[in-house]
Amino acid sequence: MPSTDPPAVIETWGLTKLYPGGVTALDGLTVDFAPGVTGLVGANGAGKSTLIKILLGLIRPTKGQAKVLGLQTGEKVRSLLGYMPEHDCLPADVTATEFVTHLGRISGLPPTVAKERAAESLRHVGLHEERYRLIGTYSTGMKLVGAPRLLLLDEPTNGLDPAGRTAMLELIARIGTEFGISIVVASHLLGEIERICDHLVAIDGGRLLRADTITSFTQVSQVLAVEVEEGLDRLQAELAARGLAVTSQARTLLVPLGGDDTYDVVRDCVAALSLPLCRLEQRRHQVEELFRDEEGVANA
Amino acid sequence: MPDSATSPPAAGVIHDLGYRGYDGPRLGRGQIVRALTWHSFRSSFGIGRGVKGKIIPVLAFVAMCLPAFVNAFAVARGNPRLFGYDVYVPSLRVAVVTIFLAAQAPELVSRDLRNRVLPLYFCRPLRRGDYPLAKYLALTAALLLLIEIPLLILYVGTIASVKSGSAVWDQTKALIPGLGVGLMWAVLMAAIGLVLASLTGRRAYSTGIVAISCVLTFILSLLLIQAEGGTTAMSTGARIAGLFSPFTIMDGVRVWLGGNPQVGLVANPGRYGPLYGLTAVVLLAACLGGLAARYRKVSRS
Repeated sequence: MPSTDPPAVIETWGLTKLYPGGVTALDGLTVDFAPGVTGLVGANGAGKSTLIKILLGLIRPTKGQAKVLGLQTGEKVRSLLGYMPEHDCLPADVTATEFVTHLGRISGLPPTVAKERAAESLRHVGLHEERYRLIGTYSTGMKLVGAPRLLLLDEPTNGLDPAGRTAMLELIARIGTEFGISIVVASHLLGEIERICDHLVAIDGGRLLRADTITSFTQVSQVLAVEVEEGLDRLQAELAARGLAVTSQARTLLVPLGGDDTYDVVRDCVAALSLPLCRLEQRRHQVEELFRDEEGVANA
Repeated sequence: MPDSATSPPAAGVIHDLGYRGYDGPRLGRGQIVRALTWHSFRSSFGIGRGVKGKIIPVLAFVAMCLPAFVNAFAVARGNPRLFGYDVYVPSLRVAVVTIFLAAQAPELVSRDLRNRVLPLYFCRPLRRGDYPLAKYLALTAALLLLIEIPLLILYVGTIASVKSGSAVWDQTKALIPGLGVGLMWAVLMAAIGLVLASLTGRRAYSTGIVAISCVLTFILSLLLIQAEGGTTAMSTGARIAGLFSPFTIMDGVRVWLGGNPQVGLVANPGRYGPLYGLTAVVLLAACLGGLAARYRKVSRS
């Protein structure tokens, strides 16, 4: 990462984790996470949870090292982190205030501060405002109470209904923008990541696929998308006849963009066949292409 | 509130008060462990829990204190003190400690396993061993209160009725070993209760494991002692028959250290006394080691 950028909140060098039994969860992962909301994406088993647990110091890497907020992973770092495990962890028989206060104390807050911040955190997440928010936002309150500088969220929308999902994503975005807390969101749901993240770190099989800003992932590509109301086959044949390597995808024709004259060729073809053209635009990359290209499978 | 998905968040809703971070000093690990210990200590008496969580601790406490009250009252009317400070009411103490342990040790450890809140602890500035240490200290303190408070009631009730200073001193001299025995009970039984309760997150199972282990071993030892001629027998068999249950082991240690062999649960261990002491220490070490090992493993999940 160039030196002009703000310092990374997480840096890893050659992070490798082998589990007993020969499972390689991480394989020489070297990556920086910029401040802001960063999506950590990858298929199930790509190593997302393992990376988070190493950052928290819950497990040790087999090789390599990691720094969080400029500090070696360990106890000191943990007091500055908020973490939400991917599963529920809510004791049913304790009041939210009592439990969140207790966790604040375990984060090293003095008693009175812990009480204040517990009340505020629960208010921030809107607990009791809406019933559907209860489960999801309750655990969010737990993360906020320790006054963290970085939140690690492992599949935060797991087990939430669509409304809860929306509320959770909105809350994450708010925490990231208004509260000024950096967030790493591990998820395999690319649509959610695209909605809320500034940066994206994609891992696959424990290795770094790509790390960049979300906008660079969705930059315009050198492909034209052409749609017509009817006569898709005839248009495809005509374009191919004029020497363009055209492919079809569902109801769209994809034409590699050679230069401005590609537009002209497409226009001429459509005109020659008198077809009703309804869309002609430069295509944007989608985050999921990353994985599609990697595996050679179109799983759209 | 589906509108909030589309409208900007700063719509004047009640929770929109801005987030306050905290830049002040963080408490150290020692104080964090203390906070966890205090929290666990409170919950071992059901404080911070619902009414249901308080029933067993309160009943146990009342049952344990009742004989002390009655006897203290009787002493005030001129009757002698019936219960020794070192043994108190042996069968009652065994029963109440078993029930308390079976109910409250799972309260401290099983529910955290059950609710999977351990990652929330271990992602904070605690070390692996801190969690079981705090739980152990809390349960030891709770048992200590349960066992020692009746002794203190008995003591206060008795000295309130005696006339001379030397009689007060006699009572105090008798009380101190009694408090020591209580401490031994708390230290050992807390370790046994926690290690057994932490085996499973199923509350009912861990209660069962604790209760059955305590009761069965106790019955086994009692039967063996009876088979060897009872608590007054002098045979080797009778002397070592108490080694099969924590309660009788502790009573053996008490007699070995000079306690009255006429009262209590076991036959006088005689020259096997050190064996009782050793067994108690080994048992304690094994339970604490097992507890530490349990949480080394569990924290990875």
